[in-house]
Amino acid sequence: MRAMIIKELRLIRKDRRSFFFLLLMPILFIAMFGTIFNSGGGDSSSISIRTIDQDQSAASQAFVKQMQGIMDVKLESASSLNDQVDKMKQGQFSAMLVIPAGFEKAMKEGSPADIQLYQDPTAQTELAPIQAILSSISSQYREQKLTDVLLAKGDSKEQAEQALASPIQIKDVATTSDHISYMDSMVPSMTVMFVFYIMITMARRFFDEKKTGLLSRIRSTRVKPLQYLVGMWVPFILTVIAQCVVLFAFGHFVYDVKLGDVAALTLIVLSLSICGTGIGLGLSFLVPGEGAAMVITQVIAMGGAMLGGLWVPSYLLPQSVQTVGHFLPQYWALHSLQNIIAHGAHLGDVAGPALILLTFGAAGLLVAFFRLPGFLRSAAN
Amino acid sequence: MIQTTARNTAESNHTSYNNDYMLEVSQLRKSYPKKQALQDVSFSLKAGTSFGFLGPNGAGKSTTMKILTGIVQADSGSVRLLGKEATKNPDAVSKYIGYVPQEITLYDKLSAYDNLEFFGEAYGVRGKMLKQRIHEVLTQTGLLDRAKEEVGTFSGGMKRRINIAAALLHRPKLLVLDEPTVGIDPQSRNHIFEMIRDLNREGVTIIYSTHYMEEVEALCDEVAIMDQGTIKAMGPLGELLENYGQKAIYVEIAGAHHLPEDPDVTAVRKEGSGYVLETENLHGVMQRLLRLASQHSWDVKQLEIVRPSLENVFLRVTGTALRD
Repeated sequence: MRAMIIKELRLIRKDRRSFFFLLLMPILFIAMFGTIFNSGGGDSSSISIRTIDQDQSAASQAFVKQMQGIMDVKLESASSLNDQVDKMKQGQFSAMLVIPAGFEKAMKEGSPADIQLYQDPTAQTELAPIQAILSSISSQYREQKLTDVLLAKGDSKEQAEQALASPIQIKDVATTSDHISYMDSMVPSMTVMFVFYIMITMARRFFDEKKTGLLSRIRSTRVKPLQYLVGMWVPFILTVIAQCVVLFAFGHFVYDVKLGDVAALTLIVLSLSICGTGIGLGLSFLVPGEGAAMVITQVIAMGGAMLGGLWVPSYLLPQSVQTVGHFLPQYWALHSLQNIIAHGAHLGDVAGPALILLTFGAAGLLVAFFRLPGFLRSAAN
Repeated sequence: MIQTTARNTAESNHTSYNNDYMLEVSQLRKSYPKKQALQDVSFSLKAGTSFGFLGPNGAGKSTTMKILTGIVQADSGSVRLLGKEATKNPDAVSKYIGYVPQEITLYDKLSAYDNLEFFGEAYGVRGKMLKQRIHEVLTQTGLLDRAKEEVGTFSGGMKRRINIAAALLHRPKLLVLDEPTVGIDPQSRNHIFEMIRDLNREGVTIIYSTHYMEEVEALCDEVAIMDQGTIKAMGPLGELLENYGQKAIYVEIAGAHHLPEDPDVTAVRKEGSGYVLETENLHGVMQRLLRLASQHSWDVKQLEIVRPSLENVFLRVTGTALRD
């Protein structure tokens, strides 16, 4: 069996396709998402809006300045309104703010000063934070107006502030001691998703061995069928462990991802490795060929990622999808990893999910075990 | 001197086993869903024999070899290796038999050394002994200086040599080679022939499957002719040639456009500048030809007995040419 393990590890080390699927792709994904979503730490300064100031007054400039404190304001010339609208129709941006002439005058007269928000109705997700910011600025103007009225009636500044204070106060209570970044969630998600791509490598290796006659030849040696199975399996477990170590190390050193309790993390990584490769074993002995294995792996990896909450948090998914997700290993892997990283879970807390992952792996191994004799027979003939 | 006797146990109706035999195969049958691959194949080999399996593709040679090496299970019949039932002693099979399959079954991405290390360990050779054996077989194959290079960079002939070397690491007593020279250059073929002859001289029993007559003639002292899943004829090479080879004379006479009729000549055919006369009475026909030549002052350029060929034997035994 030792010979099988060493040989297989040497082959995996030289397999460029596996390197691409197991390491390069997830690192690229992590780096890409990290660059897009992590650079601003998720705050609103990464939100930008084009603005046309047709009023060009002190009041309009004060408004723009107030916006600039919260988001990126790109000022366009007052005469370019039609051009900008055309560009928005072409999909170059989703929202534009226009401060029409007469803004300052209306404010001084105490009548409503209109501001126009041009918006692309197909981009509601991008518009939501902009609308929230503008609403907040509008509230600030209203509060300022009310303060002025109260002060004019003879109230002190403190009395005015007290009168305007909200009866409800929202306090942030973090469920972990450390600050959790976007990448603390992204790195485990990508790791879990790409672990399952080991199944492609596994199926390819088994079918190569069968097709080239190597499996048949190995059967003429002292290597027993079960030794062959385990000897092929163990290197893939080690490969997935190495994959997880590299991805978490990348996340930790490049994006400062928290690792939490290393013992608990080790348990989940080990269970996930056994789970992914166990399912890979079963798949390799079930499908008729390498092509089918490729397709099924994509379905398992991508479908599992979608339903298991790797792309969108589970609680945002419909209830029925959440229920389905509970039957997928991806859900339990991510759930436990997030518990370790974000909620400070320890060995005892993740033992349950670890057992579920191991059960998936054992099921795959069982399928492989029962299908092995037929696979060996077909290889011999 | 090594005793080299093959016997057809089916023909001799010999059912008891003899410990003198390296291998005893009895009444092997194997069928696949659409084909009867083997029908009552029986033969026995004494240690040190170099035994050739000759037959066209699909004759059942590879199936027989896979059954001998435990890769395929026979439907019925038995294989005894050194007096022990092979199916009940799989460890003895892998210990005493080295199998060289028809395909080049090596890992292209691994070096020759790593390939040999893997197969050596798979055969149960470990540590210093394995290192020593790898060195020895690499020397035997003439590829010691290429040991660290990936097998994928090797020529077909070099791969074939490593393919054989991988089956030698555990010093097998019986080496089973299934068409080991397919698609290689003459130089590599000669190298492989020399390796096999050396191994046979060292006492290793050889089973060599091929559809090349010349390979059997060059390497084997015992031959079994297989066709359609059965052994059609078997025995020492000389005996087969004697029993089944067509006796003939080749004669070339300057200016002769036809030959006089002879009652002992069964067939005449033109070959090159002369004629091949098929006859069972070689000496009688030659004497009469020489007498006629002397009487008519013919200029006899060449007169010789044609050596019977295995090809001819195959044709007579199976009724078809080998490469059909």
